[in-house]
Amino acid sequence: MEWRLYSRDRVAMFWTMAFPVILLLGFGTIFRDSGGPKLAVVRVAALAPGPQDAALDQALGDLQLKVVALSRAEAEARWARGETAAQLEPDGEGYRLRLNSYLMAQAGATAGLVNQAWLVAQARLSGAPEPRRIPLQVESPGRKRSANYASFLLPGLLGLNLVSMGLFSVGMVNVSYREKGKFRRLAVTPLPKWIFLLGQVLHRLTVTVVQAAILLLVGYLVFGIANQGSFLNLALIMALGTGCFMAFGFALSGFAETSEGYAAISNLVFFPLMMLSGVYFTLDSAPVWLQHVVAGMPLAPFLKALRAVFNDGAGLAGHGLGLGIVATWGLAAFLLAVKRFRWA
Amino acid sequence: MSLPALRLRGLRKTFPKVVAVAGVDLDVAQGEVFGLLGPNGAGKTTTLEVIEGLTEADSGEIEILGLTWARNGREIRSRIGVQLQSTSLFNKITPRESLDLYGSYYPKRRSTEDLLKLVQLEEKADAYHITLSGGQQQRLALAMALVNDPELVFLDEPTTGLDPQARRGLWDVVRSMKAEGRTVVLTTHYMDEAEALCDRLAIMDHGKVIATGTPASLIADLAIPSVVELTFDGPAPEPGAFATDLGLAVERRADLWEIPTPDPKALLPRLLEAAETRAVPFQQVHIRRATLEDVFLHRTGRSLRE
Ligand SMILES: Nc1ncnc2c1ncn2[C@@H]1O[C@H](COP(=O)(O)OP(=O)(O)OP(=O)(O)O)[C@@H](O)[C@H]1O
Ligand SMILES: [Mg+2]
Repeated sequence: MEWRLYSRDRVAMFWTMAFPVILLLGFGTIFRDSGGPKLAVVRVAALAPGPQDAALDQALGDLQLKVVALSRAEAEARWARGETAAQLEPDGEGYRLRLNSYLMAQAGATAGLVNQAWLVAQARLSGAPEPRRIPLQVESPGRKRSANYASFLLPGLLGLNLVSMGLFSVGMVNVSYREKGKFRRLAVTPLPKWIFLLGQVLHRLTVTVVQAAILLLVGYLVFGIANQGSFLNLALIMALGTGCFMAFGFALSGFAETSEGYAAISNLVFFPLMMLSGVYFTLDSAPVWLQHVVAGMPLAPFLKALRAVFNDGAGLAGHGLGLGIVATWGLAAFLLAVKRFRWA
Repeated sequence: MSLPALRLRGLRKTFPKVVAVAGVDLDVAQGEVFGLLGPNGAGKTTTLEVIEGLTEADSGEIEILGLTWARNGREIRSRIGVQLQSTSLFNKITPRESLDLYGSYYPKRRSTEDLLKLVQLEEKADAYHITLSGGQQQRLALAMALVNDPELVFLDEPTTGLDPQARRGLWDVVRSMKAEGRTVVLTTHYMDEAEALCDRLAIMDHGKVIATGTPASLIADLAIPSVVELTFDGPAPEPGAFATDLGLAVERRADLWEIPTPDPKALLPRLLEAAETRAVPFQQVHIRRATLEDVFLHRTGRSLRE
């Protein structure tokens, strides 16, 4: 029934189904052949380029470093905008390398390559035997086969899309329906709250399954990304995650009187959840107690398990604890949702 | 009679700024059509919502079919039918689906076809809810109140927004409910409706019941069974001196004067004489039987609909 009503709302349907696909196509295409963002160095052109400059440029190219050659003024402007990670400038007889402290990870790696290139260039100029290099290989941990960026992106999109659907759309719809009094008529029927909520969760679950299927299909057809693990495991993880975050949404909706209030509350929960999930940065330097808290959060184990299955074809065995955490949160949230739910 | 269908004692409900229900006692017998009559804001809807379990009372006792909310919530819900003052449904649901869906929540249910026929919505059975007119939505809400074959039905202003024909149709539905032995509690602003439908009435004002009884007994209690009306072309003037001459209370309404009297025949010559001396520019004289409107006016000094 719910599903039928939902399917009549064409606009909502289009966005929930199409949006993740658009994201995937967009990011996937942008980063298509690069295997993720590539290292680049800004090269400030010498006033009078000599053989030394030519040798260095060639060596940089050999090391597969992207060289952005700019005049000094252009380079300074780019630096000021904060877009440059590393900038190589002529300095007297030699060079100087400026590194952007905000992009240290890229800048550091770039610096290593630039120095290597410089050694190579010097050796070539002096006719000395070329120093032997240790070959580099960029990889993501646990990856079975070298995959492109889109295949890394896909499970993340699947997961986050589902989290935001649970936290934002589902809860929001609930609050706004309540605001408009659409549940009042239900309140005078003997329908128990928990059945109503469970029905909602199951309905959303079907929507998610369809959404995921479309995304997987597009990923496969356009980028050739295939699920490396079993579809059953994938479905199990998705269902668990959907249930958990929907329940979150419903629980939160019990605390908001108005849609505006809900927007505030859900953000209040969403951002710490994201930030502390260990998805965006590792929390190695955080206090120990915080690390314990983070270990108990549901988002990270969910995304981890999803990636492990999808990208590495792992089984569920190693993720029992993580998925247990997700399930526990989901159940707790559902109970809270039932307790807080009001018809009007 | 066995158990009362509904029994209220000392019901109170206060909102932050207003006392909506200020101590209501009511008894409704089984099989009765009971009317709550009162002006806007009298507390009719609030009283019903408290009874229906939508709003929690501040204090007071509610007994429904001998059951209480504290102990028998689910059973009460499955045995009562409710039409809210405004029922908001999903935009893209059809009447047939609404009845099927809401019916599915109850252990006992009436067939969707019967209900559609009862409220004459067969033609619109498969139209989306937002495409129904206000009156059609209202009729659907009535059908939904009957979906579980309830013993006790609450109707909040069931005929507001209906055209005269649909109103009569609804009266017939209410009468057939009574004939089937259901108890009906309804609210209304219309005197004629209350008189035509209700076995007994409670008149509410400012959250209190100010009178209860059968329509006939309420009117009889007035002891002024008739009202003489003088109508004017345009707004009625102040009756001041005319009323003093006559020695009677004269109520000024928009374009008429009302003079309640136990004996219109005796009053009429005196009235015409006084009108002549004071040169009252009236157009017509009517004598009519007192109505519930007069009962309300008499009890509160105010008109029901203002
Ligand atoms: N949710 C609410 N919050 C605050 N005040 C309310 C609320 N609901 C009703 N009231 C107030 O309680 C009083 C009684 O309202 P109620 O709706 O019961 O009147 P009513 O008799 O049904 O009127 P009407 O004939 O207009 O439907 C009114 O003064 C109203 O303003
Ligand atoms: Mg009302």
